[in-house]
Amino acid sequence: MGLPAVIAIRFLEVMFMTGGIGSFFVLVLSGIEDFKTLIGADDSIQH
Amino acid sequence: MPSPVQPGKPISDRVRIVVATSVMLTFISYWRAAAIVLNDLGSSAFYAGGIAEQAVGKSAPWFIVAVMLFSFTVRAVYVESCSMFVRGGVYRVVKEALGGTLAKISVSALMFDYILTGPISGVSAGQYIAGLINNIFSTADVHGWIPRAVHAIFHGTPQVNENWTSVAFAVAVTLYFWWQNTKGIQESSEKALQVMQITTVMVVILLLWSAITLLKSGYQAVPFPTPDNLKFREESLGFLRHTWLATDLARKFGILGILIAFGHSVLAMSGEESLAQVNRELAHPKLKNLKRAAVIIAIYSFVFTGLSSLLFVMIIPDPVRITIYKDNLIAGLAMHLWGPLLLRLLFRTFVVVVGFLILSGAVNTAIIGSNGVLNRVSEDGVLTDWFRQPHPRFGTTYRIVNLVVFFQLFTILASRGNVYLLGEAYAFGVIWSFTFNSLAMLVLRFKYKGERGWKVPPNLHIAGHEIPVGLASVFLVLLSTALVNLFTKSIATVAGVSFAAVFFLIFTVSERANREKFALAKQQMTEHFQLLQRDTVDRSALSIRPGNVLVTVRDYNTLNHLKWVLERIDTHEQDVVVMSARVSQFGSAAYDLAMEQIFSDYEQTLFTRAVSVAESFGKHISLLVVPAADVWSAIAQTANNLESSAVVAGLSSKMTSQEQAFELGRAWEAMPEPKRQFLLQIVRPDMQVDTFHIGPHTPSLKTEDVHLVHRLWLNITREPGLDKLHHHDILTEALTRFARDYAGHDREDILKDLRKSSGRTVPSRPVRGDGFGDRSQPLPERSAKPVRNKKKGDEGPPSPPVVSP
Repeated sequence: MGLPAVIAIRFLEVMFMTGGIGSFFVLVLSGIEDFKTLIGADDSIQH
Repeated sequence: MPSPVQPGKPISDRVRIVVATSVMLTFISYWRAAAIVLNDLGSSAFYAGGIAEQAVGKSAPWFIVAVMLFSFTVRAVYVESCSMFVRGGVYRVVKEALGGTLAKISVSALMFDYILTGPISGVSAGQYIAGLINNIFSTADVHGWIPRAVHAIFHGTPQVNENWTSVAFAVAVTLYFWWQNTKGIQESSEKALQVMQITTVMVVILLLWSAITLLKSGYQAVPFPTPDNLKFREESLGFLRHTWLATDLARKFGILGILIAFGHSVLAMSGEESLAQVNRELAHPKLKNLKRAAVIIAIYSFVFTGLSSLLFVMIIPDPVRITIYKDNLIAGLAMHLWGPLLLRLLFRTFVVVVGFLILSGAVNTAIIGSNGVLNRVSEDGVLTDWFRQPHPRFGTTYRIVNLVVFFQLFTILASRGNVYLLGEAYAFGVIWSFTFNSLAMLVLRFKYKGERGWKVPPNLHIAGHEIPVGLASVFLVLLSTALVNLFTKSIATVAGVSFAAVFFLIFTVSERANREKFALAKQQMTEHFQLLQRDTVDRSALSIRPGNVLVTVRDYNTLNHLKWVLERIDTHEQDVVVMSARVSQFGSAAYDLAMEQIFSDYEQTLFTRAVSVAESFGKHISLLVVPAADVWSAIAQTANNLESSAVVAGLSSKMTSQEQAFELGRAWEAMPEPKRQFLLQIVRPDMQVDTFHIGPHTPSLKTEDVHLVHRLWLNITREPGLDKLHHHDILTEALTRFARDYAGHDREDILKDLRKSSGRTVPSRPVRGDGFGDRSQPLPERSAKPVRNKKKGDEGPPSPPVVSP
């Protein structure tokens, strides 16, 4: 139970932390776009 | 007159059927779309805080706030998935990305999410009502208003059992909406908007009053989400409670503790998936409106669910918060605001009314959503057509509704009113359905290079390759949370996995059976019918002339109205189009549908019967299948596109002919210009026909009205300078004055008079004429009620029209 469980837990923690930091950028960048959308200045169409 | 009949003679070897591949929709604004989603998402504010605090302790509100912030990023994933221009809808997208097996597991998780939305919302609403009843009894008892006899019966203050009352309430609400969905109610954006307006009033009062309370009475600090402050219950560690991790877990693994607590709070963002359901109904410009709706939803739910969770801990004292108010925390907050008891009790009642509205709405949304998802997979061939068989009377997919409601009732009874248990299970469905969706989006970034309206930022470009950093990050958070939840929510894991396994099995067996059946059906179809797929419907697709007759069919056992039409029409002179509207459920794909998504074996049987009826008359008919969100809208739009002179339908089993005409008239009014008027003729089972005019038309006048106009004309033309006046000038002047008075102070008087006169109106004499054969014939007299052709074989067809609904 010991070592494999600890490795699995640490792996999950790294996933969560990495994802959390990346999600923060998603939050900020999409938040800026949201603001533009709300004031009607958004024309961002990506292909 | 009917043409000579040549029974049984085939018109051609293969009958051409035009299948429209875009759903005929009625569009809604982004405010209404946001309201529909918020009815689901906002409802979680009523129970998420209590469940999270029971699981992780007093610092739970910070996790709810974190989840609400994270929901902004999940919403971004849904916006990207909705902005993908791929054919066939979300299930096909996931199937394309992950393959059939994972797609079926994904749909099973989504079904678990949707099915549990109903029980948790119903039981939670019941808890608020039962809590209020008990509170009223207690307050009344304090004032000595409870008679001694009642005291004796209850051995003290009368109290209801909150859990079982909640169960009874949830069962009643679910049964009510089961019947409504069986009858086929539409998802009303109007009602959703009204509920959200009332909810907003409650939220504003709650926040303002809470601010006053914080100033007047002070507050309790909400402990920061540090490992020391995490107090996991034994149940909230699930399978881990029997391991060495159970003791002092949060201190041993700080981030794991936070991850577990985050996992217990994740149901606060449940309902986000409804965004994908409303997307197809959004008005142009779709993407911009989707983003607007999404940001409104995110901000609203952050303020409502996030801030109210903090206020629960700040204002409601520790000794009573969980012991008394764990399942109705907003009611608890109302009772601990600053001010007189009566005012607080009144506000609590208002909270319960709002809770009842929004949570009951969520029960309905759950049935509609589940029905939509299962219809979607059924259209995609994963469920057999047996599930899509329309109700004989109401035309709804009642078998799917029955299946969904059966699972919901079972869940309600099994939970015995325990909101915490339901919440834990619900979180399982929520997190896994989000995880699969984000995984599919991530995989599609590499597999699907087609057009996208929008992408989750940031995206790095290295050596010509795009790295979807943002999307991958959201997926990592969701996946790690979902995996941890597998271990910490033991009952949810067992229930969720069992449920998903049952659905997966049903899907797999069903898909296999369907594949064989579809291959056979396709062969038969190819032998008898020639299917032509068209994005939209117009005359050229069907090769028909203007002024045709559109016959709507649904039940292959009731095609009398088609016979009635074929008896009267010479199809060499006037074309007959037989149309079947395939109801495309809320949440299904909107455009570029595959043939099998629209054309089931039911349509095959229906059209085979229709063709044999036409063959028995020796006449040619054109066949058309139209996917539609709203049948009336589809009929009105098709009649308009085909330039039909008349629509002929059978009498509905759930509506009168007037109601049918009213619905069609309303759909006609909602259509954009240019639009044409047409006749609606409803053929009753006894072959009597009710005729209506759809769209504005010249009203027919009663004889005495004509005389009145004439008398006025005679009098007025005697006046100097008015000798050239026409009768219509008098009507114009009269109507202009009437409109002015109606817009002014006389409105009520006018309405009163009209109500009186409408009660006295007597149907005027029907005018007979060959309406189909002679379209140039002037419109006949008006009557206040539809006029019927007296008996079968009566040669006078469509006569006196009525005012359009």
